[in-house]
Amino acid sequence: MIRLEQVSKVFVESGAPAVQSVTLEVHNGELLGLVGQSGCGKTTTLKMINRLVEPSSGRIVVDGRDIANTDAVELRRGIGYVFQGIGLFPHMTVSENVGIVPKLLQWEPSLIEKRVDELLEMMSLSPHDYRDRMPRELSGGQQQRVGVARALAGRPNIVLMDEPFGALDPVTRDALQFEFKSLQKSLRLTVVMVTHDMTEALLMADRIAVMHMGQLLQLGTPRQLLAHPDHPHVAALLETPRRHAARLEDLLRTRP
Amino acid sequence: MSERTLAELALLPVTLSHHLLLSLSALSSGILICFPLAVLISRVKALQWPALTVASIVQTIPGLALLALMVPLLGQIGFLPAFFALVLYSMLPILHNTLTGILGVDPAVIEAARGIGMTTFQRLSRVELPLAAPVIIAGIRTSTVWVVGTATLATPVGATSLGNHIFSGLQTQNPAAVIVGCLAAAALAVTLDQLIRLLENAARRRSRRAGLAAVAGLLVVLIGGLAPLLSNVRGNGPLTPVVVGAKTFTEQYVLAEFLTLRLRQAGLPALSKMSMGSTILFEALASGQVDCYIDYSGTIWANVMKRSDVQPRAVLLDEMTHWLQANHHVKLLGSLGFENTYALAISEETAAKQKISSLLELSSRAPALRIGSDYEFFGRPEWLALKARYGLRFAEQRTFDPSLMYEAIRTKSVDVISAYSTDGRIVDYKLVVLADPLGALPPYDAVLLLSPDAAKRPELVAALAPVMGAISDRTMREANKMVDMERHSVTEAALFLQEATKTGKAQTQ
Repeated sequence: MIRLEQVSKVFVESGAPAVQSVTLEVHNGELLGLVGQSGCGKTTTLKMINRLVEPSSGRIVVDGRDIANTDAVELRRGIGYVFQGIGLFPHMTVSENVGIVPKLLQWEPSLIEKRVDELLEMMSLSPHDYRDRMPRELSGGQQQRVGVARALAGRPNIVLMDEPFGALDPVTRDALQFEFKSLQKSLRLTVVMVTHDMTEALLMADRIAVMHMGQLLQLGTPRQLLAHPDHPHVAALLETPRRHAARLEDLLRTRP
Repeated sequence: MSERTLAELALLPVTLSHHLLLSLSALSSGILICFPLAVLISRVKALQWPALTVASIVQTIPGLALLALMVPLLGQIGFLPAFFALVLYSMLPILHNTLTGILGVDPAVIEAARGIGMTTFQRLSRVELPLAAPVIIAGIRTSTVWVVGTATLATPVGATSLGNHIFSGLQTQNPAAVIVGCLAAAALAVTLDQLIRLLENAARRRSRRAGLAAVAGLLVVLIGGLAPLLSNVRGNGPLTPVVVGAKTFTEQYVLAEFLTLRLRQAGLPALSKMSMGSTILFEALASGQVDCYIDYSGTIWANVMKRSDVQPRAVLLDEMTHWLQANHHVKLLGSLGFENTYALAISEETAAKQKISSLLELSSRAPALRIGSDYEFFGRPEWLALKARYGLRFAEQRTFDPSLMYEAIRTKSVDVISAYSTDGRIVDYKLVVLADPLGALPPYDAVLLLSPDAAKRPELVAALAPVMGAISDRTMREANKMVDMERHSVTEAALFLQEATKTGKAQTQ
């Protein structure tokens, strides 16, 4: 479980608060979508959970422990992270990339090897074909599969995702979204996923937190948001998926 | 191939191995210093500007000056001053490229490394350095070429290098030697450059096999190049050879070679260290790094004893012998029999046309004349004494390599030159040595100096004592002429001297 209590972040360089007094809870086994426009503070909020960014005030509790009192390196090794723009290490093979966290955790080499193959299978990448390839030899979709495999390698129960599917073409994105959602359910992962795509959040998240200018506007299930948007800005964000759905429905119904 | 060229090539394995050892030690130390320094300044921004600026300033100092500067700083000659100068010289490209390489790593990759839980050190060793490797290796490559090239300048500070061929070749008018030295240095630089390029490409393609192949190639070159040195060390390890020093002109080379031959014939292992600066050589003798060499009484009088008064020859020699013993424990064994004085010379043609035969007559014509000299003369007290005593003021003052100076007067680029009285070229170039009626110049008798340790070795003293008084002006001029004009090797001239002293043909003038 992750709990944010009155968390704020002010960057020294800009002076303006990036995140203002956000309080929210992510339940175990839940996928929380963190939605908003660029610059709304959603990525900063995400990065504070594994201390890539330190909060200016407030408290963050992960699995019952105040993370300010934990060792940042140890904390990060226990939390999976899928990076925006993938962030694979270009000088390491696929198996080295996937196995890096177990290696940092000093697992047995044979155990790491087994774990890597298991994860590649899970991500529909044949270990035999992909284990020794370099990231640059893979397509964007394959790279992000490796990115997800790397995040899961250390058996974390929490995974943070920063726009994980943003750079992919629509077909690949759809396939990965679907696969990841079922993976998350079966492994009972607690996930915080940052996205600016409201449709993606509606289709994948158990609950959605909408942020605007550093503040949390509304937190609820996709159904609650669609039924009762609390704020005109939330309503505006929901307008696009709603319109798309209506048009699609229309097209499907009027089939000759 | 001529005999001179073959003789030069025979020396090559030893000079090459010394050159390689010097360059390699300097480069590896440069890497050991710059690598952590670059990592430090990549983390502490405030240090970047000062560190790079200092390294850049060092780079702007001419190589020879930097090397020469190390001698007084370290108080010794040979390997160490050359080594320190080259370490400084190697730093900028390594420092600069390592820093650029680290700072050039994609910030997204750095964030990923932090995000998955790498410590600062793991981030550096597993991500930043491997990704920066091609750029870092490129820096080492640049540095290698610079250092291998600049190491040729280690010869004048007393370290053996490929520069030995170049410096002695320039001095003894032996183009083959100069070419051997230059080609060997260039070949070494190009070979290392290309092998490191392979390593750089391997790092760029992240191919372990190509990297190992390049490293293997480098090892083969290094071991092959250093082999003569290793076998040499094993060969005469226990016996320390007598070191005979020589300054940077032909007569000194011939005399050093002559003394070396004599010592060897007496059963003493000996080697000569050629092309050392005048003051460097005296300090090296006093500190025991050189065992013996020939200097000139006037030089010691003015430069070492800092005297400007002129004394009769016998008084001067006597006073000098005592002074050297008392102040430096250096033994003046005796005079060789000839004098090599600094003198001013003009062409016979100018002498006749302008009616100049002494420095007194020269002083009135000097404002319309141009004077040329070697690197040292204009900085020496003798020149100051001449200028003051005769009121000399020339239209122009130019500095040459000693061997080019004679060309300059022949082609009328200058009218007056500083010459050595034993120089074989005075006759050949049809020059007139001008008299010194006011006695501004002290006598320049060739004297044999022994280091404090060498003076205590009776077998060494016994081997060299017969040389005293055995070489006349004429004999020396003849030996010099063999090398400078007739293209004989230094060794041949030394053998000639040996023959002349043995048969007692030499007459003291």
